[in-house]
Amino acid sequence: MFRPQVMSKVELVVPEHDVVPVTQVLAASGVFQPTPSVHLGSGRLSRSAEDWRRRATTFADLERRILAVMEALEVDEGPPPAEPPQLIEPETAQMDIDRLEWEAGAPVRELEEGRRKLAQLQRYLSQLEPIADLEVDLDTLRNLRYTFVLPGTMPAANLERLQTSLELIPSVLVTLRREDHLATVVLFGAQRDADILNRAARSAYLNPLELPEEYRGTPAEAIAALESDIKRARQYVAECQTTVDYLHEVRVHSLRHLLWRVRASRTLAETIARYGRLRYTYLVAGWVPTSRVNMLRREVKRISDDVLIEVDTPARQEDGHVPVALENPPIVRAFQSLVTTYGRPRYGELDPTPMIALTFPIIFGIMFGDVGHGLVLILLGLLLLSRKVRVLRGLSGMGTVVTICGIAAMLFGSLYGSVFGFEEVLEPLWMRPLENIMDILISTIGIGIGLLSLGMVFNIINAVLARRWGRLFFDHNGLVGLIFYWSLIGLAASAFAGDLPISPTPLAALAVVSGLLVTFSKVLERLVEGRRPLIEGGLSAYLIETPIELFETLIRLLSNTISYVRMGAFAVAHGSLSMVIFLLGEAVSPTHGLAYWIMVVLGNLFIIGFEGLIVSIQTLRLEYYEFFGKFFTGGGVPYRPLTLVPREK
Amino acid sequence: MAIRDVRAYSSIHARVRALYSTMLTPETWEALIQAQDFDALLNILSKTVYGPYLQIERGKLTPRRAVYQIRWHLADIYERLIPLTPEPGQQLLLQLWRRYEVDNLKATLRGVETGASWDQVRHLLCPMTKYITLTTADMEKMIHSGDMARAIECVRHTPYYGTLVHALERYQEEKTLFPLEVALDLDYHRGLWHSIDQLTGPDHDHALRVVGTMLDVNNLLWAIRYRVYHHLSEQEIINYTLPLGYQVHDEDIRAIAAGADIAQVVRRIYPDAEGLEQLSERARAGLAALEVSLQRHIVRTCHAAFIGYPFHIGVPAAYLLLNEHEVRDLTVLIEAKVSRLPLEMFVSMLETQVPAYQTEQR
Repeated sequence: MFRPQVMSKVELVVPEHDVVPVTQVLAASGVFQPTPSVHLGSGRLSRSAEDWRRRATTFADLERRILAVMEALEVDEGPPPAEPPQLIEPETAQMDIDRLEWEAGAPVRELEEGRRKLAQLQRYLSQLEPIADLEVDLDTLRNLRYTFVLPGTMPAANLERLQTSLELIPSVLVTLRREDHLATVVLFGAQRDADILNRAARSAYLNPLELPEEYRGTPAEAIAALESDIKRARQYVAECQTTVDYLHEVRVHSLRHLLWRVRASRTLAETIARYGRLRYTYLVAGWVPTSRVNMLRREVKRISDDVLIEVDTPARQEDGHVPVALENPPIVRAFQSLVTTYGRPRYGELDPTPMIALTFPIIFGIMFGDVGHGLVLILLGLLLLSRKVRVLRGLSGMGTVVTICGIAAMLFGSLYGSVFGFEEVLEPLWMRPLENIMDILISTIGIGIGLLSLGMVFNIINAVLARRWGRLFFDHNGLVGLIFYWSLIGLAASAFAGDLPISPTPLAALAVVSGLLVTFSKVLERLVEGRRPLIEGGLSAYLIETPIELFETLIRLLSNTISYVRMGAFAVAHGSLSMVIFLLGEAVSPTHGLAYWIMVVLGNLFIIGFEGLIVSIQTLRLEYYEFFGKFFTGGGVPYRPLTLVPREK
Repeated sequence: MAIRDVRAYSSIHARVRALYSTMLTPETWEALIQAQDFDALLNILSKTVYGPYLQIERGKLTPRRAVYQIRWHLADIYERLIPLTPEPGQQLLLQLWRRYEVDNLKATLRGVETGASWDQVRHLLCPMTKYITLTTADMEKMIHSGDMARAIECVRHTPYYGTLVHALERYQEEKTLFPLEVALDLDYHRGLWHSIDQLTGPDHDHALRVVGTMLDVNNLLWAIRYRVYHHLSEQEIINYTLPLGYQVHDEDIRAIAAGADIAQVVRRIYPDAEGLEQLSERARAGLAALEVSLQRHIVRTCHAAFIGYPFHIGVPAAYLLLNEHEVRDLTVLIEAKVSRLPLEMFVSMLETQVPAYQTEQR
């Protein structure tokens, strides 16, 4: 549970005639992650790889064409099929797609054309509307002899620049309307300057209003004609849309079916193109969890007895290229996405998921302790898990996390004696944060010190697992880092508390020695691990960087520790917010009437929604920056087993 | 010295200092310049910070692919430094990073215009995985759309859509990418200026010095190029440039647009600029020399950011810009080695390092 699954490298030698069914079996098993093995084959025979690659490209092109038709007909991909779809030959797919393209082409083009015309008419209208009251014939404006008039739209950001550029040319730029980033303007000038004005307007991206000749009369009359044309254009668009909707209705299933068949065939071709090739056989290589190797062996042998299978399980330290499959019980697995959002553990290092599954609810509970609010979260979590509300289905993966956080909030609510903000209903099993502010803040710093130290211990374990002795001893978060941190805590404790079993002198000596080792940790680490050069990037850069690094380490340790105060602060804030809600309720209805209770309910909903969100973010922040930062490297290669169609999550 | 700045920038500054020391040394540049051919150049590069990016099958490492691989280093350092940088300085780095997105978008639009295949376009792009609005899938979709209007529809979700869709009308009339590219550049640089404006104190001053210098040079070179190469009118030049800058002011741009002596204007701003004498006789040759000279001015400004008070956004910004110039120079070298150009033809184009013999030549 604390480490990724053990993986085995599986190599298969597959006769040419079995390559397709064997690949289908590998994909159906859902456990085989292929790795490129072209280099294992004979270079002379790489024509096969070329053929499969060409086939894959053909399928990719066909897939694109299907998607284009689907987009035009507004058909979505739908969920992936439950069973792997049948493979298809490129020629057959090509014929089907040709037919679909022909069928959809004309109606979609007509719809696009109709929409374009409608948009153009609407643009004319929006440009004419600001001059609707002008009692001038548009033909007069079109045929002016001495005056230059140019109405149009341009980016508002260019207005000032256009005015600057025309400073020396007699002209007036009138802004009629400004919407978003566009301005509707009219540029006036003398006809003799028309060329200069046109070039200036064009360079300022003034798109002229080119009202067709058919719109005559005053602007008001032209607007009336335009409105009537817009009505007709809308009707035409609606008719085209009906035809496209009909096609959508009758072709939705065949399009999706064809898409998944082509997609599966493309994946298969791409996979085989990466196999190595000998004269009569293919070399297939990939990763499988060791526990599933026998199952895979049986499945493959069911297809062909002629397939040779070799299995090798590498050591944990060779983690650079081994894919990482995390293995956790279902409750803990719910927290896995919180870890992978930050980074995927490397094959050789500890999987922090069990730790985050334990610490995340505790930190959340400390900040959000309330029996009532916790209960609401549990109900919300169960609702998410049930997948009964359609709009919440996408969040069903978080259902377990929300439920567990709700339980933690209820537990801490009992410790704080708080139910929906009411502090008189329950006797606190521990203390009320609002009445014991210093106690709760100091307690949370203590928890923080514990978590940070645990993070450093995990870093030490990771170093042992990776056989990185330099990192084990000299890393900022290694043994000397831990000693440095605890000697500083000891010094701080003796300064504030006074009577400690150890006197400050040995603690100070320990802090100085470990501090010096931390300062030169990089060089010492490289020295112990036999890596050269000892100093990377030159001595001068190193000397500049080293004191800053020590300073940064000190600041980081301090800020990381202080950071956990927020747990106590939020526990206090939670109580204070509840108090504010009751005060507001009192203000609205001093006799505790209906308005009071409405205020209490709304206030509690606000706390659950708003504060709940903030507390989740803060919890995640403490996990990622303070805790993970101490030991988690990440950067592991994700385990992505081969599949011909994506599995629905 | 504000303690807040020290706390905020100590970590990133230490990292940038360490990374700064991994930039190519003058000795490595010398070896790269003297490399026999493309293969020899790759051998030298494989021992530098670019080594890990070039570890792909040699047969696949075409010159275009090599440049693409080298750009991964740039992507990596941006993606490493951005999350370490405190706000609001982080916004400036994000805006600087967006420049590559704009360049990718322009390269994709060029691909759409010329009907190039995705395979032809993909390795011309700067690899970007984080802090982006335009994904590789979007750009692939643009290329496959086969038509400029449809391609622009593919970026509807990005901040570039409004700019492009408005400029599309001009593209459709003129059938040239010029209006689309200029619109993107102007919009981007306005955004960059805005990010500098959001900063205060030493952050603002140093960002203005480093990034403002880059903005100045771009703005100035646009104005000169529009006059020398495109023969645009005064009004057009003004509209295609920006009224903002650090040392280059609107009066300078307007003077160039109005036909003033370019050399005189540039000398007033950058007294040490090269190529000015040639500008009046052989404008194009002079302009090429001036461009390199101004790019070197940016490089010098960036190096200067590492001297003095260090806790500000200028240091990471300068480091990132320096890397961009390093990658540009490597691109020049790769192209030169592939075309087997003699030394004297390409050394003068390098921006980051001025080898001794080149100084002597001058």
